Amino acid sequence: MAGPDKPAPAFDRDILPVLSDFCFPCHGPDAKSRKADLRLDTAADALRHDSGIIVPGKPAESAVIERMRHADPSKLMPPPKFAKRPTEAQIKALESWIASGAKWGQHWSLIPPQKPTLPTLPTAASIWPRQPWDALVLDRLTKEGLKPAPQASKATLLRRVTLDLTGLPPTPKELVDFLADGAPGAYDRAVDRLLASPRYGERMAWEWLDAARYADSNGYQGDAERTMWPWRDWVVQAFNKNLPYDQFTIWQVAGDLLPAATHEQKLATGFLRNYMINGEGGRIPEENRVDYVFDMAETVGTVWLGLTFNCCRCHDHKYDPLTNKDYYSLFAFFNRTSVDGSGGNPQTPPTLDAPSPIQASERIRLADLLKGVQATIDTLEKEFAPQIDPASEAGKALKKKLADRSATESLAIRKALKEFAKQYGPTLDEHEKFKAARDANERIIPRVMVMADQPKFRDTFLLKTGLYNQPADKVDAATPPALPPLPAGAPVDRLALARWLMAAENPLTARVTVNRLWTQFFGMGLVKTPEDFGIQGERPPMPELLDYLAIDFRDSGWDVKRLVRSIVTSATYCQVSTVTPELLEKDPENRLLARGPRNRLPASMLRDQALAVSGLLVDKTGGRPVNPYQPEGIWEEATFGNKKYSQDKGDALYRRTLYTFWRRIVGPAEVFDNAPRQVCSVKVYRTNTPLHALLTLNDPTYIEAARHLAQIALQSPGDETARLQVLANRVLGRPLTPTEIPTLAKALAVSRSQYKNAPEDAEKLLKVGESERDEDLPAVEHAAWTVIAQIVLNLDETLCKE
Amino acid sequence: MQGMTPPPFNNAGWTRRELLTGAVHGAGTLGLAALSGLLARDSRASTGTLSGVLHRPAKAKRVIYLFMNGAPTHVDIFDYKPKLAQMHGQPVPESFIAGKRFSTMSGGVKGKLMLAPIQPFHRRGKSGAWVSDLMPFTASMADDLCIIRSMNTDAVNHAPAISLMLSGAQIPGRPTLGAWLSYGLGSERDELPTFVAMTSVSKGTSCGQIFYDFYWGSGFLPSKHQGVKFRNSSDPVLYLSDPPGMRREWRRGQLDALAELNRQKLGAVGDPEIATRISQYEMAYRMQASVPELANLASEPKSILDMYGPQVLEPGSFARNCLMARRLLERGTRYVQVMHAGWDQHNSITTELYNQCRDTDQPSWALVQDLKQRGLLDDTLVIWGGEFGRTPFIQNDIANRKTWGRDHHPYAYTTWLAGGGVKPGLQYGESDELGMNVANNGVHVHDLQATILAACGIDHEKLTYRFQGRDFRLTDVHGKVVKDLFA
Repeated sequence: MAGPDKPAPAFDRDILPVLSDFCFPCHGPDAKSRKADLRLDTAADALRHDSGIIVPGKPAESAVIERMRHADPSKLMPPPKFAKRPTEAQIKALESWIASGAKWGQHWSLIPPQKPTLPTLPTAASIWPRQPWDALVLDRLTKEGLKPAPQASKATLLRRVTLDLTGLPPTPKELVDFLADGAPGAYDRAVDRLLASPRYGERMAWEWLDAARYADSNGYQGDAERTMWPWRDWVVQAFNKNLPYDQFTIWQVAGDLLPAATHEQKLATGFLRNYMINGEGGRIPEENRVDYVFDMAETVGTVWLGLTFNCCRCHDHKYDPLTNKDYYSLFAFFNRTSVDGSGGNPQTPPTLDAPSPIQASERIRLADLLKGVQATIDTLEKEFAPQIDPASEAGKALKKKLADRSATESLAIRKALKEFAKQYGPTLDEHEKFKAARDANERIIPRVMVMADQPKFRDTFLLKTGLYNQPADKVDAATPPALPPLPAGAPVDRLALARWLMAAENPLTARVTVNRLWTQFFGMGLVKTPEDFGIQGERPPMPELLDYLAIDFRDSGWDVKRLVRSIVTSATYCQVSTVTPELLEKDPENRLLARGPRNRLPASMLRDQALAVSGLLVDKTGGRPVNPYQPEGIWEEATFGNKKYSQDKGDALYRRTLYTFWRRIVGPAEVFDNAPRQVCSVKVYRTNTPLHALLTLNDPTYIEAARHLAQIALQSPGDETARLQVLANRVLGRPLTPTEIPTLAKALAVSRSQYKNAPEDAEKLLKVGESERDEDLPAVEHAAWTVIAQIVLNLDETLCKE
Repeated sequence: MQGMTPPPFNNAGWTRRELLTGAVHGAGTLGLAALSGLLARDSRASTGTLSGVLHRPAKAKRVIYLFMNGAPTHVDIFDYKPKLAQMHGQPVPESFIAGKRFSTMSGGVKGKLMLAPIQPFHRRGKSGAWVSDLMPFTASMADDLCIIRSMNTDAVNHAPAISLMLSGAQIPGRPTLGAWLSYGLGSERDELPTFVAMTSVSKGTSCGQIFYDFYWGSGFLPSKHQGVKFRNSSDPVLYLSDPPGMRREWRRGQLDALAELNRQKLGAVGDPEIATRISQYEMAYRMQASVPELANLASEPKSILDMYGPQVLEPGSFARNCLMARRLLERGTRYVQVMHAGWDQHNSITTELYNQCRDTDQPSWALVQDLKQRGLLDDTLVIWGGEFGRTPFIQNDIANRKTWGRDHHPYAYTTWLAGGGVKPGLQYGESDELGMNVANNGVHVHDLQATILAACGIDHEKLTYRFQGRDFRLTDVHGKVVKDLFA
């Protein structure tokens, strides 16, 4: 590609990032930090023909080139004190771009995606793709001189896709069935089965909860418990029912504003209310309220648009075409809620009652009972009231409604009516009883914080440096001018905003969403900055693939399951994940997709996997969050003893991690490397530290799981090798290799002799965890096998999806 | 820690692939400065020297932050204002408060009455620094300290102000000082965390502000830079202990078998992450020995234990955490954040403040003296201070001494530094005659951060990390190194 034929640099790929990195901080969109009254972020300004900064066709006359290479430090650009310098290659690219006419363009993500034409592959290669877009991957690999990796083994594939779609490993039976299914389409059938599993919604909900900063407490001092979990359960159901992503969006951003909004649509708006609530004494309510609205606006900006709106809270964006005013115009959509900033009420109105079916029927039953008793009381009072002296205490009290009477007044009536109607007293007692039952029922009904607008909208002002008490110009609700406009004539409200997010013309939503879903399966996005599709974010190495998927997703009617199916049934996804030295050198991050994904599982999935393979998992769906094992004193130490952790018993210990109570100020101890759920986060956390090793080695959950795995192995027929294979089969979904068996067998022999000499230690190890063990199994043998099961649970292969 | 045995696995958790590409960390790419630091680590770990990768000569190799959570009252402890005593009971002069924002707990500030310091002040040592009788031990080492009386901050509530002091931003979620140091300088030794946080609170206080884990968070930096919170209960590190019935030598054998199987896997699939995993399990095994050894104070002579005061053996006391901090630094931890809550005296200046001083004064003194006698103070920076100061005027009824209190005060307060190349005996900056506002040489929170990094050889403008398309740094877009503090 060298020599005179070298094509002119592409503006959005080669030029804009350089201008952005080195010029925009002082000559960009932010008017306040602009120096020398010079702007280089728009064509009109940068190419102004009298300025001589960029003279199309004449790099030698363009000041931008001269200044970037200037020998005089006082003239050098960017100035020497600026921490970064452009490379010579970058300056050369600028030169070449100017020489070829300095054609201006737009940042890639703001240009609407075009469905790329799929390349025609040579006949020999055309058998590889399993999805149309696989051709894009193959074509690129061929151009790079690479070949796709072979397809992964059936067993590997089943474990990979089962973890990816359900967050759990395949059961031994599922594996046997799949391996036995030699008919064409076996894999596609497995995928369909997994997509139909209720576990699918639980798995897909995790990242959404991270993005939605979902937690079971407020955060901050006090950290009061909230009851947002009916919203969490709604998310799971929405994924399972495959609610189209446009509906999924509109309901969560503006379900309350839909005509004749249903309970479910209102419930969905809990998404916006998951922000932290600050109950610290001395806080100014209005300051809190403004913080909450910031959080709503920024969350929407990140989740749907992939833009870093938060930068514009205080000033115009330094790089992207977003202004301070644009920020407050977006803010204005959310500034109409009646949400109050005072106090730390974890059920700050507006709220929505979300009773369970039992609570709902109890509510109706008690209301009916109360109505009946009330009628009896009314009848009795009406009948006998004339016989009571209207001037007496009872007579006066009778004029009041039942609910308005004081205890003494009720007593007076009761006494007065006693001689006329014996049943009056007992009926009153019954009334009290039902009322108490009703109140008790009402108290336990979860109330979900939801959205509702005030009848009269609050005015919105641009807030100087983001301070609630520094209002400047008044602004109206509006979408950023850099993006397509709202439809003319429609009311400008949250509902319009939500629909605009999903409008076909919106260049961002489909790309941003596809990218996030891709990340869930490949461990890294097609754009590796899922939180930033702006100029400073990554330009995707395979833009055509991103656009193909985005358009396909949009045109499918935002069918999430269809998109997921397309990804996991592709030839690209089904490649083996083995890393060759050549690939490690050429494409260490696997951006070209010449191999399948291989990544450590998220912590929540690790725990779920351990519970599942050991048979401990309780697959109950939804409901109140649970408190599984947690090392002593974590809540107490964080809250000076105000919050006491009370570990649950029985089934609650073995629920999926999705249902673990999330205390916002500390988070569950078992969930490492996760979004902290304090503010919206869509980035991937994946590190490799000794603290993680300590957890999977020593957390009672994992030890108990190992004990149960050992028990399953020991209860299985066959010799020692056959039992080791049972372990491997359950955990790894494959048989052990001939070199692995002796390593484990030797470790088992050693462990057996250790416990034989110290049977009391065997008993101690087997007591970890609250579930019972099969007492028929000899303790020494059971303990020795537990040690082996622990090894298997800690294998790199177990910890990874491969 | 030169001369320490290099660990058998010379790997601080980074594979070459991660280093070169930032692969594992999703969004981020490494800032240039940090990248050079990280690439140089291999050679550094073997020689124990930091030179060659830093922006400037490092005076401090290690840092201890004694963070006084809740905001100590500067006008009662370090900032002597005779005029305040004279004006006791008189309304606050309006010129001092015009246009300023205070916590809502004070309500309107106008007309509030001035409150004299509750204990006498004296000049101390050769430097003649004024320190009140509330802190006799600290007073006795005035000549070791560099006292900054012109600190100021932007926030008036605890969590935002602490977040600002520790992470450079009021809103939680940015990397904290220790995470930046871990990221920029790396670890000196692998068996212990690079960044440790410990917390305590005075018993029975009604003034305790809780500790949020974002006070030692890594924000958008890779989570390995996050502070490891040492717990006050049995295992200082979560999940450190082997389960009952698993002896240490048995665990060794178990891990050997695990490593053998993982090596087989590495040979088969070639993912370098597996090699990292093998070394992380090895490091975990070593931490299981090094952390209990660290926490076992039996090897400390009585004379040392006595220095730290009567609470030194109580788990969860400030005294014990100070001693632990010294032991951590000796063993290669780079940054220890010792946080002590209970300084929020809204109505207990005449009561609980005394306990608070008693619990922290001697241990803080002991830590500095202990480091000094071991020759460690020269290259260890110790910082003592809170998130803001307290109002020179009263909160509550002046007729009822028992309820006297002071509210949050961001406009002037005191912090002291010791060691780490900072001038001993220096008194820097002044507040005005009532301790209300900075009078000269103001040191803003971002300036202190820049100065701490400078002491460690880091240019605060160059230690950056790209996130959301922007190069972030601890000092945001502010901060000036206070060069006058350095000897």
